[in-house]
Amino acid sequence: MYRLLGRGEISAVHTAAMEVLERIGVVIQHDAALKKLADAGATVDDKTKVVKIPEYMVHDALQKSPRRHKLIARNPKYNIVIGDGDSYFTNAFGAHYTIDLETGERRLSTIKDLEEFTLLADYFQTVDYIKPNILPQDVPKSVWEQEMALAMFKSAEKHLSLVALTPEGWRDVIEMAKIYAGGEDEFIKNPSIIDTGFNNVPPLKYTREIIDMVLECAKYRIPFDISTGLLSSASGPVTLAGTIVQGIAENHAIVVLAQLIGPGTPIMWGSCATILDQRYGTAAYGSPENGLIHAAFCQMAHYYGLPYYGAAGVIDSKVPDQQAAYENTMNVLLATVSGADVVHDAVYGIVEAGVTASYEMFAISNDICGAIKRISKGIQVTPETLAVDIIETVGHEKNHLNTPEALKFTKKHLLEEQWQPLISNRTSRPEWEKRGSKTIEDVAREKVKEILLTHKIEPLDKKMESAMRKLIEDRTKKTKSN
Amino acid sequence: MESMIFEELQNAVIEGDSEKSVSLAKNALEAGIPPLDVITNGLAKGVKTVGDLFSEGQVFLVELILAGDAMKAGMSVLLPVIKESKAEMISAGKVMIGTVQGDIHSIGKDIVGTLLEADGFEVLNVGEDVQSETFMEKVKEHKPDVLGLSSLLTVTMPAQKDVIEKLKASGLRGDVKVIVGGAPTTQEWADEIGADGWAGDAVSAVSLVKQLIKG
Ligand code: B12
Repeated sequence: MYRLLGRGEISAVHTAAMEVLERIGVVIQHDAALKKLADAGATVDDKTKVVKIPEYMVHDALQKSPRRHKLIARNPKYNIVIGDGDSYFTNAFGAHYTIDLETGERRLSTIKDLEEFTLLADYFQTVDYIKPNILPQDVPKSVWEQEMALAMFKSAEKHLSLVALTPEGWRDVIEMAKIYAGGEDEFIKNPSIIDTGFNNVPPLKYTREIIDMVLECAKYRIPFDISTGLLSSASGPVTLAGTIVQGIAENHAIVVLAQLIGPGTPIMWGSCATILDQRYGTAAYGSPENGLIHAAFCQMAHYYGLPYYGAAGVIDSKVPDQQAAYENTMNVLLATVSGADVVHDAVYGIVEAGVTASYEMFAISNDICGAIKRISKGIQVTPETLAVDIIETVGHEKNHLNTPEALKFTKKHLLEEQWQPLISNRTSRPEWEKRGSKTIEDVAREKVKEILLTHKIEPLDKKMESAMRKLIEDRTKKTKSN
Repeated sequence: MESMIFEELQNAVIEGDSEKSVSLAKNALEAGIPPLDVITNGLAKGVKTVGDLFSEGQVFLVELILAGDAMKAGMSVLLPVIKESKAEMISAGKVMIGTVQGDIHSIGKDIVGTLLEADGFEVLNVGEDVQSETFMEKVKEHKPDVLGLSSLLTVTMPAQKDVIEKLKASGLRGDVKVIVGGAPTTQEWADEIGADGWAGDAVSAVSLVKQLIKG
């Protein structure tokens, strides 16, 4: 495990973050939330909406914030426990455009893209739970979150993380989740059948809408991730240490609030912060600094006893090329070996930092993330795996391909020792030429087409689907009559 | 003498040294140099140099912003004198910029604003999450040559259209050029909603504004 910060440094970062929370405070544009915080001991300025939170409130909240929690899937074989020591990977979030699989053209994203990316995420072994890869442009905005939720419910058996953009839309999605869970009572018992995520408005601010939706989650104890979105040298300090300090203060404000409203609400505490490139004025995600930010944040999360959620694999490159691949590799690897509990944006089917989806990149990143998961599994050292007996049996003249005992040994351990890539090329050169001398992008495209044709999931219960459809139609009618 | 002060002023701006810029501007006035010349040949030239270098990726954003601040500091000495003498201030044009309702992404439009200022435009940055009605009021009040609307979210792009529609409805559309931008927007989107232009980054935004104001 990679540990970037020493003990003294962790403690210095913590002290600085507490000073920011206590002395500088965070803006929360939500009067009910401010009242709740004031009643619990915070100092609130009603005019500026700045809330200053004393350290003891943070400690109280951390006591109540689960160290680990389940995310439940439609198919129980995909249930996972966040915070159990493994790094769980999600796919990318939120592409407005998509590079068309057939024409290669960059065009507006569609609901069909969302279904297809979700189906691919269901297929790819590296994706442990699924984020909305696509923001479709061909459905009405009045029922946007609802249509997206339905498309995802239909297209995967794994746990789904749904979009919360507006309080109204999010409430509808919760109603749909109740249907998905098999009724209100079931949902109340198992609210972690869905989850969602939020960002703040750096520096040190939260809007009314975000707080509304956080409160809604806390009310039901729906898990959510909260991640600071600051850009170093723009909406936060240029120093990475200062970036961490500000981010902690921003995230902790939400931990405190959520645990006051709904004690025990599972929170994945994280970061989608990175640097602003000072030469081009762009958010640079494929930067080494981004990886360092995750490494440090992750240590701080664990210091607080919270699971860490890092948006690590984001790609700045505009096409699925060499740059895309090394950006994705570098930061997913660093976040994983730092012990991130969730590596969000890991299996990254998007290019252009969140803007344009790429089917090809999704399959390429699946291989990258498969390799990283293998690295994270490490080496198993037991008397058996040390293999002295087999080394002796094979001796000096034979090898492991012509000794029966060794062949048996290889067969026994092969799958746990060696990871098998889905599309990376490892053939001989003549074989590669015989198969058409294809680039990884070509192979990825073919593989994606094949999966989309052949991967079948258990369809969503018809009754559930029509109940959800009806909910969307009702909302459409209501919007129209307004 | 004059050319030396101009050069020093340019350098003060290039170095982002506001204090030096103020004291040099005072010196220039004392030496009897017309304040408009001090701006054109000194302050503005310095900022232009930095702006050009930024476009080429040769200087950092932070240096560009500091240069802009140094120019403004120098201007604060000169402007009162210019007003008194009733000389015409030649600004390259007035640009109002803001992020539309429901959208709090601020960094992109701030950078566009900074670069426009560096190129001599008067920039009114009206902030984020700005309601269409507020844009109307501010346009009426300040009469900018160009209105820039930023949107980073799919859900807030329609607000760019809304502002344009409202400008039309209130008869203001003819008086102001409207440009749009932000990561998910495109030239096609700009055409579709009847905007006068689109730019994908701050450097092209400046060329676009120049072109619109000239035309
Ligand atoms: C930083 C960031 C944030 C920060 C913003 C901080 C701040 N104070 O601005 C925070 C964390 C707050 C944030 C919040 C959210 N974000 Co955000 N964010 C980004 C991110 C990573 C970078 C944006 C940025 O600042 N880029 C750097 C600047 C310099 O670039 P730029 O804005 O594109 O501007 C340049 C050009 O576009 C152009 N330009 C910009 N404006 C204008 C205007 C004119 C007139 C012209 C001519 C040109 C022009 O010139 C600029 C300079 O070159 C983008 C991803 C991306 N790749 O864009 C997501 C992104 C825009 N966010 C996204 C989302 C979904 C959100 C949230 C809804 C998340 C959530 N669930 O909470 C909230 C939105 C809340 C709200 N109501 O607005 C999505 C949008 C998807 C979509 N199409 O709708 C994106 C694309 C990321 C993603 N895929 O998830 N975000």
